[in-house]
Amino acid sequence: MVDGGALPPALAAVDRDGALAEAAANAAAGGSELRRASRPTRRGLIGLGAGAAGLGFAGRARAAAGSTTGSQQDIGILNYALSLEYLQASFYSEAERLHSLHGALADQARIVGGHERAHVSAFQKVLGSQAIKRPTFNFQGVTEDPDGFRRTAVAFEDLAVEAYKYQAPRLQSQAFLAAAIAIHSVEARHAAWIRRLAGVLPAATAFDQPLPPRRVEALVASTHFVVAAPDMASHQAPKFTG
Amino acid sequence: MDAQVGETRGAWLRRAAMLGGGLMSGGIVTAALASFASSSSSKQDVEVLNFALAFEELQADFYARSLHSVSLKGEWLQFAQVVGGHERDHVAFLRHALGSAAKPAPQLTLTRAPSSFSDFQRLAIGLEDTGVALYNGQAGNLTPKSLASAAEIVSVEARHASWARDLAGEVPAPVATDVPADVSQVKAQLTQLGVQVG
Repeated sequence: MVDGGALPPALAAVDRDGALAEAAANAAAGGSELRRASRPTRRGLIGLGAGAAGLGFAGRARAAAGSTTGSQQDIGILNYALSLEYLQASFYSEAERLHSLHGALADQARIVGGHERAHVSAFQKVLGSQAIKRPTFNFQGVTEDPDGFRRTAVAFEDLAVEAYKYQAPRLQSQAFLAAAIAIHSVEARHAAWIRRLAGVLPAATAFDQPLPPRRVEALVASTHFVVAAPDMASHQAPKFTG
Repeated sequence: MDAQVGETRGAWLRRAAMLGGGLMSGGIVTAALASFASSSSSKQDVEVLNFALAFEELQADFYARSLHSVSLKGEWLQFAQVVGGHERDHVAFLRHALGSAAKPAPQLTLTRAPSSFSDFQRLAIGLEDTGVALYNGQAGNLTPKSLASAAEIVSVEARHASWARDLAGEVPAPVATDVPADVSQVKAQLTQLGVQVG
């Protein structure tokens, strides 16, 4: 039997500042969880800044929505999805490289890691020169042991489902929507799979809720997994001359 | 953190009512999303959601009957109880959203209850995988507001599919992107599972 409870261990795994718990408490009151999540420590500010840079494209997409074309908004959303896929792919690849896992957990990491890497490649291909580069990650030791891996993987997969669910109806292109929705359900399969391996109910409720990028960014920032933002200069649209 | 865990029946019924109000008024495409999927419309939303309703009723019926016809134990019993409850909630949500427009079609009938445990396993996996393919296949035919509601359901179907596969010793997520199915493909898959398609 699987425990039907909520997921405090997953939260604890990624919520190193307690920022997420605070954000969740503030969300109901309508506070800005991103601002509240930051702490006046050097480490906290660096982590938050890097996280915001690595996953901040959704903010740009939101800003762009009112003033630019639909396709530019789509590119912002695809880059946001790519940043989440980078995070996941790097996490699974590192756990595999370190040989931290055995048995069913190692199988999960191998197969799911393969999917996340395929998602990265797909977005890179679609975005071409407009694709953001892979940030530098430091997984703070969670890829080194099964417990840390399991808790973080549960958090990542549930988060990916929530993030895709928020963005899918906002895509303008039918082709991008088809791709995003086909990935969305695979992330949900991953989530159920790792939840069962973690001893929690694979499908906790009848309806999965979306999560806006501001809250996704805050959660990721609170982990300090993103230690260096990608080179922003290379994302400029190419200049055409002559 | 599971914010969803605490969600009450009242909360999602309110969302269903909001979706339903939009479907009736036809004003569900906001200005910001006006250029989305020119093929989608409120009328088409009703058609797609009635297709989904027929499918959810089929699933709810399947789990209700399986609990009587098959001796399920341990986590498989938990699976059938939990998932059956979700399917009933999906039926209630869609019926509430569609209101007087709720006319499940095509008619999908389970001709017989599962006769054995292996029969139950095969049908559970087949139905859940087909559900994912059905919702994914209709995503582009829905207006953004209805798509947002369908997306709340499809990932739960995917979780069910993954859970059933894992319990049966199959790979929970066999491919990197789920393959969608259009209406005729869904009908064909269901026919193969022994469902009578009207």
